[in-house]
Amino acid sequence: MNAVGAIMKKEVRDAVSSRWLLLYAAAFAVLALGLSYLGQRNLGSVGFENFSRTTASILNLCLLLAPLIALSLGAGTIAGERDRGNLTYLLSQPLSRWELLVGKYAGLVTAISVATIAGFGLAGVVIASFAHSMDVTTYVLLLVLVVALVAVMTGLGVIASVVSSNRVQALGIAMLVWFFAVLFFDLVLIGTVSSTSLGGTGLLAVVMLNPVEIVRILAIIHLEPDLQVLGPFGSYVLETLGTTGATALLSAALAAWVIAPVGAAVVLFHSARD
Amino acid sequence: MSERLEIVRAAGLTKRYGRLRALDGVTFTLAPGEIVALLGPNGAGKTTTFKCLLGVTNFDGSVEVDGIPVKDNGKAVRRRIGYLPQTTAFDAGDTCQQVLEFLGELKGAEPERADELLERVRLAEQRGIRVGHLSGGMRQRLALAAALLSDPPVLLLDEPTANLDAASRREFHDLLLELRAEGRTIILSTHFVESLGEITDRVIVLKQGKVALDATMDDLKRATSGRRFMVNVNGTETRVLLDALSGIGIAAERVTAMNTQFEEILAAALREGEEQR
Repeated sequence: MNAVGAIMKKEVRDAVSSRWLLLYAAAFAVLALGLSYLGQRNLGSVGFENFSRTTASILNLCLLLAPLIALSLGAGTIAGERDRGNLTYLLSQPLSRWELLVGKYAGLVTAISVATIAGFGLAGVVIASFAHSMDVTTYVLLLVLVVALVAVMTGLGVIASVVSSNRVQALGIAMLVWFFAVLFFDLVLIGTVSSTSLGGTGLLAVVMLNPVEIVRILAIIHLEPDLQVLGPFGSYVLETLGTTGATALLSAALAAWVIAPVGAAVVLFHSARD
Repeated sequence: MSERLEIVRAAGLTKRYGRLRALDGVTFTLAPGEIVALLGPNGAGKTTTFKCLLGVTNFDGSVEVDGIPVKDNGKAVRRRIGYLPQTTAFDAGDTCQQVLEFLGELKGAEPERADELLERVRLAEQRGIRVGHLSGGMRQRLALAAALLSDPPVLLLDEPTANLDAASRREFHDLLLELRAEGRTIILSTHFVESLGEITDRVIVLKQGKVALDATMDDLKRATSGRRFMVNVNGTETRVLLDALSGIGIAAERVTAMNTQFEEILAAALREGEEQR
């Protein structure tokens, strides 16, 4: 087995043995089930909703929770080893710095993704047993988008880990990124639209600066293809790009977001040898 | 000086941390089958020297291990070096077997190598025991087994016996002597100087990032043979220092309240011996 594979396997094993993985999966499943159940009750009839409605309800939960988990765990990778005094020991093995970083990143993304899929899968099985209709494709698509978001946010967390001198500092940076991307960015967007004459193209460019927004819009495209929920911006996107074009553009942007942070982390880690 | 084979060549190692020079032109070579003690007070540059040899830090100068420059092929060099840090941070929840399996995968070792080494360091019965349940001595032996996974010709041991009791230290030293007998080169930093004479062939003393002394034990003994030295040391370290000097054949007496490092005594002893010849 090569060094990346060995590090990755170890990272997954550590994640499983630390139990956070199980807790995270269980929390996701419980929240997904709860959202579906409560959503239907608010509409007047108690019971589980169908897959599409459930998927829409869970979307915001995903965009809140998955980045938080991925950023905080990513922030612990290199900084955590440094805090434990283990980084020099790992680097003293016959492996390159990039192999260590990529192995840790890949292992963490795998562990969080498996936990997410397990939690959502469990919720999906339960909901499918009780729901009146099924739209499994959309549910699976949301899972794919969340896994991509996990990959992006883990990469950003790893950057925080590489540039920080200790785990607490890395976690602080990661939480700032989470706060900005998940909570604050919408306010920035609203402020930008209301205070500038930014057109549809400019707004689309701003949206692509935030992977959370990219995932949100990609999910909406498949949940509500007419994009009415996005208002005039949705109409602009449909008119200029069409559903396929918008999906392709946003998917490409998301792919770039997956690759860029881990690439940047590798470069920073290589140049930060002290 | 007679010409000898070299397994490690370090030339002009210089390392700066901001304005501080942690290493300043450190140069030495190591021969196969040699145990060398790297001594010096805290901050003298011992650990930094190890980092340079491993190629895990940027530095000026050059390091070659088995003829391979570490700056050109760090992975190949690290495959030829077994490193044992002062404190090992193996996951407490991992078993001895799991620790060696993981590190063996990184080093490209055969799976059965882990079993062989656990036998060798007398941890075969603890194979399935979690690291968190091992004593300090057992952990160091496990770390030594890990260092030997790729069957390296060179071992770097950073304060390997710092946290061990006397019995464990003796056991560890016996293992080192076995490894030397196999032709491995061992460089160890240590503060436990009282047993240096028993296990080391040579002493390199670092002071403020420079080599203050590089001498074989034979040279030291020859230079100080039959002479008595006045030693000024801190009271709490007196016995240890006198024992240490005695261990390498230097007779010393008298104590004052001055604080003198063991390494400085060695250097002074060697200087005086050379002046008298």
